[in-house]
Amino acid sequence: MRWIPFVLAAAVVPVFLGPGQLTVYVLLGLSAMAVVGLSLLMGYAGQVSLGQASFTAIGAYTAGLLAVHDVPPLLGLVVAPVAAALAAVVVGVPILRLRGHQLAFATLALQLILLSVLGDADWAGGAIGLQGLPYLSVFGFELNEDLHYAYLVLLGVVLTAVVASSLVRSRAGRGLRALATAPVAAEASGVPVGAYRLLVFAVSAAFAGLAGGIYAFFVGYLAPGSFPVLLSIEYVVMAVVGGLGSIAGAILGATLITLLVQALTSLATQPGMPGYAPGVLSYAVYAVLLIVIVLFVPRGVVPTLSRRFRRETSPGRPAPVDPAPARARPGAGR
Amino acid sequence: MTALLEVRGLTRRFGGIHALRDVGLDVREGETHAVIGPNGAGKSTLFKLIGGQLAATAGTITYAGRRIDHLAPHRRARRGIAIAFQDAPVFHGMTVAENAMVGAHAVTSAGPLSAVLRLPRHRRDEQVIRTAAAHALRRVALHELADQSAESLPLGRQRALQVARALCGRPRLLLLDEPASGLRGPERTALAALIEDLRGEGMSILLVEHDVAFVARLADRVTVLDLGAVLATGTYQQIRSDPAVIAAYLGGHA
Repeated sequence: MRWIPFVLAAAVVPVFLGPGQLTVYVLLGLSAMAVVGLSLLMGYAGQVSLGQASFTAIGAYTAGLLAVHDVPPLLGLVVAPVAAALAAVVVGVPILRLRGHQLAFATLALQLILLSVLGDADWAGGAIGLQGLPYLSVFGFELNEDLHYAYLVLLGVVLTAVVASSLVRSRAGRGLRALATAPVAAEASGVPVGAYRLLVFAVSAAFAGLAGGIYAFFVGYLAPGSFPVLLSIEYVVMAVVGGLGSIAGAILGATLITLLVQALTSLATQPGMPGYAPGVLSYAVYAVLLIVIVLFVPRGVVPTLSRRFRRETSPGRPAPVDPAPARARPGAGR
Repeated sequence: MTALLEVRGLTRRFGGIHALRDVGLDVREGETHAVIGPNGAGKSTLFKLIGGQLAATAGTITYAGRRIDHLAPHRRARRGIAIAFQDAPVFHGMTVAENAMVGAHAVTSAGPLSAVLRLPRHRRDEQVIRTAAAHALRRVALHELADQSAESLPLGRQRALQVARALCGRPRLLLLDEPASGLRGPERTALAALIEDLRGEGMSILLVEHDVAFVARLADRVTVLDLGAVLATGTYQQIRSDPAVIAAYLGGHA
């Protein structure tokens, strides 16, 4: 229950935020939900997805299309993660046979295909997308203020974090973590490797899909351009910065990157800056951050900090050997 | 005694090369059976075919009266076959206890949903898994290191952890791939004692081993492989006086 103070703190914050800042808060939370899933996928199952925003898009369009066809928004929000997970299962069966960078490229390709299909699909509004989506309403209460969505998103983050952490610490979670480092031994221990890979892919997609569903009702319009490849890359950077396979890290990574991108955007949109400045700046920052993190904090921020903390507080226990290459930790004495 | 594992006509080709050629082998219920042979004799290939990590080119593998050669490795594990690999790493980022707990996968079934919803079934299985892991770690004298990270263990202890993981699945047939290689004297003695204990409890064991003295002490029967084919099968006394074996393998020692 160590996380309760953090949740309370996160619950107090929106009260003090202005309208623009509340939007940032909501988008941050939505990213955090997707990144918790991605961190599960990358950190525990050892699979890289460069197309995770596809599932955000599928969730958002599912919720949006259902709302356009007069399905109650709450039902649409429930169906959004299910649709994303189903899509992950369907594409996962063939592409999860790939490993490493091949899988990364396959997921990237999937997103490009999805965006181009959505852009041409009349039933999804084509390049213009879906407009005028209703607000979400829960049993007669309409969520029509940013503050409502801030709390909805907070609930979503807590939900994904709780699901992810109970998954990780369970029998299935141990199987997942085992197959990430030694799939042969894991399978010989009875871990159904293929099924588990598919499971974690589907769970990560469901988290992204839920984020997408909330996004649809929060923003009120959807277009293929709302889910660019850059969003997928942003998720990866957030997961890596925070620390793969760390749920707290996923949330912290989402927070750090969102705040950084906000700061850069306000810098890039200053008068006198060229029109391409925001895009160039965010790509450059993602690239630089990835390189810096991989070189100097290869485990990510949260696992590194918690390891250091544990080492200092329990001198009696032998410090575990750090498998990270020594050259990546110039400060560490040997 | 009936055979728990029956291997018949097992053949595996890599390209044009026969790694195994028409191998037949029985592991009887409760016996410790060793497979020996020089490097490249096909011992590891045989293991991988029985475990399911490799598919056979031809031949059958029958376990407890049923064909298993078309089953995926995790299904063979559920039937009661556990393997301690020689070269597989321990699971990184997990404690010693968690490593052992993975082995209990074969004898439990609580799915991810029951974990997320904290169903009674999840709690029951967790209890079973914890007990099995604690018991298995005690048998290989790793219980005091249960909360350490597995990759921080010295290599010999990591090998012991592989055995503990395999035992966690309460196997009927335990496959040990060169369990004594790289172990120092006391570790080797402890391993031999453990294998004798397991045999005493009725577990069937198939053991690939380089160390002839180790095999002589432990094995009820020995199968000698050479160039992918069975050269001889019998008690250690029988095979050590077999002329073909002497010529191919034991050489001057016999």
